[in-house]
Amino acid sequence: MSAALQAFDVSISFGGVQALDRASVEVTPGRVVGLIGRNGSGKSTLFNCVTGFLKPATGRVLIDGRDVAGEAPHRIVRAGVARTFQTPRVDLKTTVRQAVLCGLFPTVKRSLMSALFGLAGARAEERELQRRAEAVMRELDMMPLADIEIGKLSMGRVRMVEVARAIAANATYLLLDEPAAGLSRAEQEVLAREIRKLAGRGIGVLLVEHNFSLIRLLCDRVTVLDAGRVLFEGTPAEVECDAQVLQVYLGAAAETSAIGGEA
Amino acid sequence: MIGKRRPNTLVMLALAAASCAVTSSNPVWLDISILTGILSLISLSAGLSYGQAGILSMAQGVFAAIGAYASAIATTRFGLSPFAALVFALALPALMAWSVARAVTWMAPLATALATLALGTLVEIVARNWDDVTGGYIGISGVPPIPGFEKPVVFNILVWGFVCVAVLLYENLMDSAWGRALNIIRHDRTRAIADGVAVAPLLSAMLAFSAAMAGAGGWLYVHYITYMSPQSLDTQTSISVLLMAVVGGADFILGPVIGTLLLNMLGKLLPAQEAQGLFYGGALIVILLVARDGLLGRIGYLLSLLRRKEPAEPKPVPSAVTAPEVAP
Amino acid sequence: MIEYVIRGLINGAVYGILALPMSLLFATAGTVDFAIGAYALIAAAVATSVAGTLGLVAGVLSALLASAVMAGIFALLKRSGEEGIRVALASFGLSVAIASIVLLIWGTQPFVRPTFSRMLEIGGLRINPQGLINVAISVGLVALTYYLLRATSLGRMMRAAAANPVGAELAAIPVLGVQCGTILAGGLLGGLAGLLILHSAGLDFTASLSLTFIGFAAAIIFGIQTPLRSLFGGLAMGVVEALSAGFTSGMVTSMIPSAFMLVVLMTGLLGSNRFAGDRP
Repeated sequence: MSAALQAFDVSISFGGVQALDRASVEVTPGRVVGLIGRNGSGKSTLFNCVTGFLKPATGRVLIDGRDVAGEAPHRIVRAGVARTFQTPRVDLKTTVRQAVLCGLFPTVKRSLMSALFGLAGARAEERELQRRAEAVMRELDMMPLADIEIGKLSMGRVRMVEVARAIAANATYLLLDEPAAGLSRAEQEVLAREIRKLAGRGIGVLLVEHNFSLIRLLCDRVTVLDAGRVLFEGTPAEVECDAQVLQVYLGAAAETSAIGGEA
Repeated sequence: MIGKRRPNTLVMLALAAASCAVTSSNPVWLDISILTGILSLISLSAGLSYGQAGILSMAQGVFAAIGAYASAIATTRFGLSPFAALVFALALPALMAWSVARAVTWMAPLATALATLALGTLVEIVARNWDDVTGGYIGISGVPPIPGFEKPVVFNILVWGFVCVAVLLYENLMDSAWGRALNIIRHDRTRAIADGVAVAPLLSAMLAFSAAMAGAGGWLYVHYITYMSPQSLDTQTSISVLLMAVVGGADFILGPVIGTLLLNMLGKLLPAQEAQGLFYGGALIVILLVARDGLLGRIGYLLSLLRRKEPAEPKPVPSAVTAPEVAP
Repeated sequence: MIEYVIRGLINGAVYGILALPMSLLFATAGTVDFAIGAYALIAAAVATSVAGTLGLVAGVLSALLASAVMAGIFALLKRSGEEGIRVALASFGLSVAIASIVLLIWGTQPFVRPTFSRMLEIGGLRINPQGLINVAISVGLVALTYYLLRATSLGRMMRAAAANPVGAELAAIPVLGVQCGTILAGGLLGGLAGLLILHSAGLDFTASLSLTFIGFAAAIIFGIQTPLRSLFGGLAMGVVEALSAGFTSGMVTSMIPSAFMLVVLMTGLLGSNRFAGDRP
């Protein structure tokens, strides 16, 4: 029984299309793992299987050794696996503080009833939640934004709010779905710094990303998917050297330039 | 318990006190005040389910009817005291809503609205035809008044006391993680799941709570009128309270109360009671067209403009005004 | 038995006309017009006040006028980017308002004006000739709608707007116009249904919501997406209703539309992609 988030031989198909074919991926605490592949290669599907949003037909999903495949997604969140969405799903009318508070929901212990009747325990917990939300925001240098409506923030900031919301849940594993899409270079740098900081705190990060320079910068390991199968698994440097991956993933243009660089 | 963090409850207490004081001398006003209070309670329950959880329930009037029937039957058939019967008036609608919620809450808003409407109609038909239990078309008469609250003046205080308690519970809920979870569900269910919210159980619990609130309204109603028939509280009531909640501002805790006060009071001024539907329907359409967040939303927006006095930074969405109840 | 089936088919044909605009509007705008029954009500009410054939014309015109109000509300709501649920709420408001107007002007009197005093006898079955007219008109209307949808440019625009509103907008199809036109068609069809009911079973001011209900239930039984099915939905409902009226209690009969609706909604047959709303 190892401390890791693992997916073993996960398969799923949609109407005859094999979206995942015995795909596996593993994230350990403190590591950043990249998940790359072309559009439609099954990245998001694998992501959704791991987080419980899809139920894999076969295969196992283990959180620290416990099989959670097929469990309800909100239970998997409570087991310490938080995720973000490719397109941020936020209510643009709420403030950053409220969004982070929402992320704290899995840590709530008091019952609905005690909240309804305003019992002392529930109110104490509410104060504690407020305090923790501030702590999370402080950690991510977001305090100045705390009471700003999310709709008024830049895309990069919104994605950072999503990350803050995910880590507020005290997650051990953080799954980020293309967090850098649509971000400016400066915003990408902030994001990269935060991700490294999270890994430094012992959080395992699974990163779905198109931007290979970010992968190279951040990831300890990379899993390459193609047509639902794991094509390659290794360090970013090994990925770059693998001709097959280059062919499939980085495309012909990149292939020529990379080979040119090697020669 | 009612500190700085319960502004809506404070306002409600003041409103209730004013209503009780103003109407105490005039029997006609008292009657209007009592019925308005009861409708407010049912309307609050509609506001809670639509405004906070996004479930457009068109069965709140019918939940109230179930509560009323439960209490009427318990007191006239089994000789229970009205206080003991209150337990049934709260529990029966809640149970019913809980079981129904399991079937409808996964649906989209439009489908939920239709399903609850269908359900309300079914319950109504059963009430009209189940002669042995509900008295059929004739109904149940001779329901005893509530001991100690026989006088309208005192009963009025009881009614508004119930409304205040409902607002307090409602505000407690919205000032907690559970209330925030409800709002996430309304906005985006997938997001709520990713935040670790068990959507279906929470929505069911919420709908059960709102049905109990409506049931309390039905309990008050039946022990005030002392008579219950299928026409007393029906789908028309469900629709009316929903209209009132939306007109007042369903997103706001006090929106339904304000909407009920306004529509019900102004409705009494109409030359003919037949025009009531025209007035309600017209008010709803106007509100939907000019103030999408209801009267309170409009007022809040205007207040925020006044308070800020910033040189014209027109907000793209007028609804960007933060609702008081979702404030941390 | 046969008699019940035939009686059910005759009633169901009118339900089919009520269901038709429901499915058209749901397909083109993804929303529900709760005022359909109110269009039928106002048409019937106006038609009783104006004598002769002119009354029928006046009835349909009043229904069209009512639906024009709804179309205006719809256009205004759509412009401020409202979702379907608010449109549905507004149509509810309109329905309540129309019923109240009818109550104000005409009072609680039932509206019924039988065309024929004698029943037709066909092979031992007694049939109201008006029923045959109703069936003929509804089949004609459905056929006409089908032809308009399939063979005219208007129909193509409607289908495009239904299949992909954004794409249709980009292709310079006036989607809002098509949707408003669909609401007007709802007024026309609802009004005609009201007149047919006026000349057969009759109705009163409380009927608007239950007519809407019947129309919607008939529209969703076999899937709301295609108008042809709504006729069959209406017929099916009419038959089940007539059979239960013959063999069970009145309570069961009055429960049929609601029960139909609840069952269909619960089984989730209702075009899950659009109605289920969730986008995982």
